[in-house]
Amino acid sequence: MDSSTILVIDDELHIRQFLRAAFEFEGFAVQEASDAEEGIRSATLKPPDLIILDLGLPDRDGSSVIERLRSWSNVPIIVLTVRSREREKVRLLELGADDYVVKPFGIGELIARARAALRPRVVIPPGDPVIRVGLLEINLATRAGTFDGKRLVLGPKEYLVLQILAQHAGRVVTRQQIMKQVWGGSHLDDTHYLRIVVRNLRKKIEVDPTRPRILLTELGVGYRLGT
Amino acid sequence: MRHDPDQDGRTSLRRRLRNSVWPVLKSLALVGVTTIGLLILDQFFALRHVTLVYLVPVVIAATKLGIVPAVIAAIAGGGASAFFFYPPIYSFLVQDPQHLIELPLFVFVAIVTGHLATNLKRQAELARRRETEVQDLYAFSRQLAAAHTASDIYTAIRQHLTSIIGRRTILFETAPRGGVGATLSNEERVPERVKRETEAVIGRRKDSRSDSVVDDGEGHLWLVRPVAGKVEDFGVLAIDLGQQAGAKADAIRQRVDTVLDDATSTLEHLDLGQAISEARVRSETEALRDALIGSVSHQLRTPLVSILGAATVISRAPGNSSDPRLASLADILRDEVDRLNSDVQDLLDAALISSKGVRLESEWVEPADIVNTAIDRRQRLLAGHRVALDIPTELPFIYVDPILLEQALGQIVDNAAKYSQPGSAIQVAVRSDSTSVILSVKDEGFGLVGEERTRLWERFFRGERHASNVSGSGLGLWIAKAFVTANGGEIEAFSEGAGRGTIVSIRLPASEAPKPDLMVGDDG
Repeated sequence: MDSSTILVIDDELHIRQFLRAAFEFEGFAVQEASDAEEGIRSATLKPPDLIILDLGLPDRDGSSVIERLRSWSNVPIIVLTVRSREREKVRLLELGADDYVVKPFGIGELIARARAALRPRVVIPPGDPVIRVGLLEINLATRAGTFDGKRLVLGPKEYLVLQILAQHAGRVVTRQQIMKQVWGGSHLDDTHYLRIVVRNLRKKIEVDPTRPRILLTELGVGYRLGT
Repeated sequence: MRHDPDQDGRTSLRRRLRNSVWPVLKSLALVGVTTIGLLILDQFFALRHVTLVYLVPVVIAATKLGIVPAVIAAIAGGGASAFFFYPPIYSFLVQDPQHLIELPLFVFVAIVTGHLATNLKRQAELARRRETEVQDLYAFSRQLAAAHTASDIYTAIRQHLTSIIGRRTILFETAPRGGVGATLSNEERVPERVKRETEAVIGRRKDSRSDSVVDDGEGHLWLVRPVAGKVEDFGVLAIDLGQQAGAKADAIRQRVDTVLDDATSTLEHLDLGQAISEARVRSETEALRDALIGSVSHQLRTPLVSILGAATVISRAPGNSSDPRLASLADILRDEVDRLNSDVQDLLDAALISSKGVRLESEWVEPADIVNTAIDRRQRLLAGHRVALDIPTELPFIYVDPILLEQALGQIVDNAAKYSQPGSAIQVAVRSDSTSVILSVKDEGFGLVGEERTRLWERFFRGERHASNVSGSGLGLWIAKAFVTANGGEIEAFSEGAGRGTIVSIRLPASEAPKPDLMVGDDG
């Protein structure tokens, strides 16, 4: 059971109701807000551990809500969005949203995303700088990785990409975010190289590289390391 | 605009002089130069048959200056040989009887050669002009074939007229209820005076084929002229005549008149007036229908979010997990909502495609990602089937809109699952050859019969065999085809008949991916 508090900002009463029920079943505490102003006030007065933000709020554009929240808070934000707006998803993630769920969604999916977003962003236990994601282990000190106990032979770029994804395990990371960290700011549009690195990585860490189960693609947005 | 008649007379005389006398003088000069050359050579060599050399200025005159200068050059050449080269020299008298025959023969041959050369030149010019005309018409017809709205047709007409006139033109659409319609060349700024003149021309148009020349205040003259055939009316055309005035502008104006008469009759032959009014009606009814579909679907989708959410919460609720009957009811709820949602999504997609067209956001994509996403998003639908994937490891990346392509493939996978028995196999495979990447979906389902084969891709088409027992919007394959075609691909379906399964394949162009020079420094 989890005792984290979740703030749901959505103008649809029915959506707030089923989200409250779902998260309370899982042991979370739930706060509700029906518009952006109320949501921001609620987040200020009683800071939640996670915010679920609907983009179609009547009083304010979703991206400005994220910007407002991000100006003083690091609270994880999951955005409820509609399909076929990949550019918008990327923009929201870049503004500081942690993940998104496409409407209509099954609650299992949202709860899994919420749990991933609630995990501390970088898992580096003191004295043991190893990130574990399923069978994958990445040692940040020695910059080496193992998969199912076997040592991975990784190129420097491959290692960096894998490390970034592992630090965000379970959460989507946009291609631009990876490009910025691995290749620097000047090649943000050359995501082709990233695709090649991902293909090579899959050959090393997936049982069937053409049917990936660990390094997953979010079409048009980025990648996610499955947990 | 008025001109001084005296000045007009003087300019026309000067022009006539320039047009007829100047070439003759040029041809005589050519003969003169040839003669001087021959006289110089004559100092060193004893020249025989000099007359033949005079064919050179004749042929040059014929190809460059026309037939009259050529004939004059021939006669002058004959005269010059008699005068300078045939004894007695410096006299037009000729003693040698052989020379007496030679000279008229030369003039005759020269004239015939000159005539042939002129003809040849004219033919070449004609052929060249025909070629550009045919090219223009070809480009025009291609544009027309692709035109869907009245404004597409107008744009095609404007570009066609611009290319045949060879000047900047602006076509004003005559709105169906009178008045000036929108200018179609949005990218261009229309001078205010031209706009006003156009309105005036449209006002006068009823009584005559009035055209007029207007100064735009910036030194450019514009010819404003209705484009109207015997029956049809295609709007008003404004042509930028440039900074010419008077005679030169008149000449351009005459040429524009001839060209436009031809073009207008072509437009009439193509029955474009009819096409334009049909397109207008079509776009109005379609816009209405799409607006309706769009708003209805949107209204439907909002409650779907709550229903699906609530259904999945119920199925996970602690109190329900002990009772399998409740769990299966929640599953039914979920499946039906999924189905309803995909139908609503189809309606929204279709409305969007026909109102706004398909907008691509292309990028380099791993083909396997498309297949995996399409399959993973449909896990519940495919749960009752045996799904096999066949994806090679080394596929070329493809440059497509991944979201649209995933939706297209998803529609096909949906169909494979819906139109086949539970438990049957569905195989999704990717192949590549030198020019393309092919995604295919093969099922062991009901196959295709009769008109299903041909009408499969039509909007709202549903096979009679399945209309009553398989739910669907009749839009899936139409959407799939729209998305695939927009990505430069082709889609086709093959079936050996009833109950023998269907293979649908999407063929996408495989283009050269950029070289990964950023990989330098990576040993992976």
